Amino acid sequence: MIETALVHEKIDQNSIRADQAAAVHTIQVRNLRKQFGDQVVVDDVSFYVPHGTVFGFIGPSGCGKTTTVRMLTGIYHPTSGEVEILGKKPGKFSRQDREKIGYMPQQFVLYPDLSVWENLSFAASVYGVGFRRSQRMQELLEFVELWDHRHKKVGQISGGMQRRLSLAATLVHEPELMFLDEPTTGLDPVLRQKFWQHFHDLKESGITLFVTTQYVSDAAYCDLVGVMVDSRLAALDSPEELRRQAFGGDLVMLRSIERINYDRIQALNQLPFVRQTGRVGENEVRITVDEAATAIPELVEWSKNTGTEIESIQEFLPAYDDVFVALINKESKRA
Amino acid sequence: MRKLLTEAYRFIIRTSAFIGKETIEVLRQTPLILTLVLGPFLIMLLFGIGYRNEARPLRTMIVMQDGDPYQQQVESMATSLGQGVIYQGTTSDRESAMQALRQGSLDMVVVIPPDIPKTLRGNQQVAVQFYHNEMDPSQVSYIGYFGSTYIDEINRRIVRTYAEQGQENASTLEQRLENAHQRVDAMRQALEAGNAAAAQDEQVQLDGEIDAISLLVGGSLGLMSSLDGQMVDGEGAPVSTENQATRDYLTQLQEHNQEVSSIQAGKASYQSELEKLDQLDSDLSNLEAQLEDFQDVEPGVLVAPLRSETVNLQAINIRPVDFYAPAAVVLLLQHLAITFSALAIVREERSGSMELFRISPLSSLEALLGKYLSYLLVGAALAAVITATIVLAIKVPMLGTWVNYALLVLTLLFTALGTGFLLSLFARTELQAVQYAMFILLGSVFFSGFFLDLRYLWEPVRAISWMLPATYAIRLMQSLMLRGDLVDIRLYATLLGIGVLLFILVWFMLRRRMQSEWS
Repeated sequence: MIETALVHEKIDQNSIRADQAAAVHTIQVRNLRKQFGDQVVVDDVSFYVPHGTVFGFIGPSGCGKTTTVRMLTGIYHPTSGEVEILGKKPGKFSRQDREKIGYMPQQFVLYPDLSVWENLSFAASVYGVGFRRSQRMQELLEFVELWDHRHKKVGQISGGMQRRLSLAATLVHEPELMFLDEPTTGLDPVLRQKFWQHFHDLKESGITLFVTTQYVSDAAYCDLVGVMVDSRLAALDSPEELRRQAFGGDLVMLRSIERINYDRIQALNQLPFVRQTGRVGENEVRITVDEAATAIPELVEWSKNTGTEIESIQEFLPAYDDVFVALINKESKRA
Repeated sequence: MRKLLTEAYRFIIRTSAFIGKETIEVLRQTPLILTLVLGPFLIMLLFGIGYRNEARPLRTMIVMQDGDPYQQQVESMATSLGQGVIYQGTTSDRESAMQALRQGSLDMVVVIPPDIPKTLRGNQQVAVQFYHNEMDPSQVSYIGYFGSTYIDEINRRIVRTYAEQGQENASTLEQRLENAHQRVDAMRQALEAGNAAAAQDEQVQLDGEIDAISLLVGGSLGLMSSLDGQMVDGEGAPVSTENQATRDYLTQLQEHNQEVSSIQAGKASYQSELEKLDQLDSDLSNLEAQLEDFQDVEPGVLVAPLRSETVNLQAINIRPVDFYAPAAVVLLLQHLAITFSALAIVREERSGSMELFRISPLSSLEALLGKYLSYLLVGAALAAVITATIVLAIKVPMLGTWVNYALLVLTLLFTALGTGFLLSLFARTELQAVQYAMFILLGSVFFSGFFLDLRYLWEPVRAISWMLPATYAIRLMQSLMLRGDLVDIRLYATLLGIGVLLFILVWFMLRRRMQSEWS
């Protein structure tokens, strides 16, 4: 499987021995499939999520993200395939296992007639949190910046505050693994960034996060990203590698003072580290290279040698929206 | 051991999650409580204050022919029959009376047929017709009952008139008996003086008196015999001892009179005739004594020798509001508990909380216990408020113990909550859950015996009644408050048993609902 191979490649890069891999993976999924009647909702999905990482599960609405989360959390039983969460099949979860997992559903499910504090207290009670509950709740409300609003009824606070409260409720029992189903949907960019900052803080404290999102740009915040397209996992890698996968390498934008003629473009294509070129304007060309960091000095050297006067040369980081579109196109062609 | 204690501690914490959450949620929904509690309570209170357990007076017009000899009697009866009739006059225009009835300006038209004596002489009953224009079957029954009672009363008055007449005849009879005594005395004096001719003259006059006595005694005997007959079984009834004695005295009187009818002139002694006159005198005295008894009887007693007296074993006089208030409390508490619990699970399902619970370590038993306890607390608090209102403000008696009352209320709430949770597990939306709760309320109003005694229901339909917690609780509550004890401990045990069964069923269903596909 291409996805599995990519994951193993990443694990190898992190110098983890194969026999230790299972022990450090918080989530292991192999050939996961879910079918409702004739409709296949998740098809042959495999990936591993190492401990202490932020895993972004990206894809458009209806691509099978939530169904996958529900299989991982034990709500749905897969039609076929294997799932292991914290070393256990979801069907074998004990109460203690469940206490290690936090789940923030896509929709806000707290109670509008209760205050912020009361809602959090309810969530804490459901997870059996008794000792030091008030202190924990205060810490969490300060963490999500809701301490000053703790007496307000949840029905009277903004959508962003409700999301933050959901996050606090998911964290109240100090889980090891968190499933966050589209936590940033509907939030403004500033708040989204704040959420991702929270996620990274949590990751720093040793929590593994499995985050689904429709926002492709959220991929930049993740350690590892899985891209779902039409019920299948189209790509799985780090955000940087995904960008490379989408465009066949790193992109470098070279802008010269004069017009870059056809012969020079042909000459660029002859360079061993150049994979392809594309004219953007009269005196600007986009060059796909193996690795931008090493290619840029060589391109500067090539310019000097060929008498091309460079106005600017820099690595071009395309928006993840473009990365995503490119990956979808590639997946469509492959299918 | 430590693990067990920790788990027990967490069980309490998880269960308490729902006690707090549900209680706060309910108490914060003030309009809901006002709608659910105060609304029905005010309606019932107004009904209790406004309901009058009295016969409805009927605006009545009598239709009879002009110049009917009974007109005065009929009108007099119509105006003296109590508050059941508002007499609107007598007319011979039947059509206009019927028109007024159709238009609603009259409630009843009584049509008296013409020529009543002729009908009676033809040995037929006189049919008096009561016309009405009611649609409500209970009002139709009321008018039928009223007509029957009205006619019974008229019949009774007629018989009383006859009885009084009979007693008046008895007064005449007394005079005749006195006359007969005097004739016997005159005969005796004439015979002692040896004046046979004078004795014969007196005897002729005595004959006339005894004929009159025979006629009058015969009439009184007829009346008394007919009354005796009504008391037993009508025709062929045995004649009472008193009546038979009267008959015997009359026969003896007639025989002894016959014996003194042929007095011969010129006899040396009239000793045998004088002895017969003594017997005749004695017969007259006996008859006189016998008839005194008849005369002394009150005509009302003669006509209606029996009357009813209802004696209630209850220690108190129970007003309609006293009877209905405990039932209303039961209905109200049942409705409250069912409505709250019917919304409880479907709301969690609809909001998505159930998905969270499936992933969490929360068990179905913890969730269910928490919800039961919270609603029991809320229901018990509301029950206390409602009970205080009916006992302190409406002055409904409370003869039972408060411990029994509290147990009954908690058992009712427990069973009603089970019913509501069951509905909640079947409902797909909150609206559907509320509709189910209203459906149960409607069923309880009609089938629990709230205002219609279960004995009026067809037996197979009564099965529905016994499926409703209110049916048991209403009986128990009325008995507890108004008699001071639980009417039947089996009713209480059945109510509790239904509650326990519902708890187990709901727990089983919720457990399945909260399980994941993996299970």
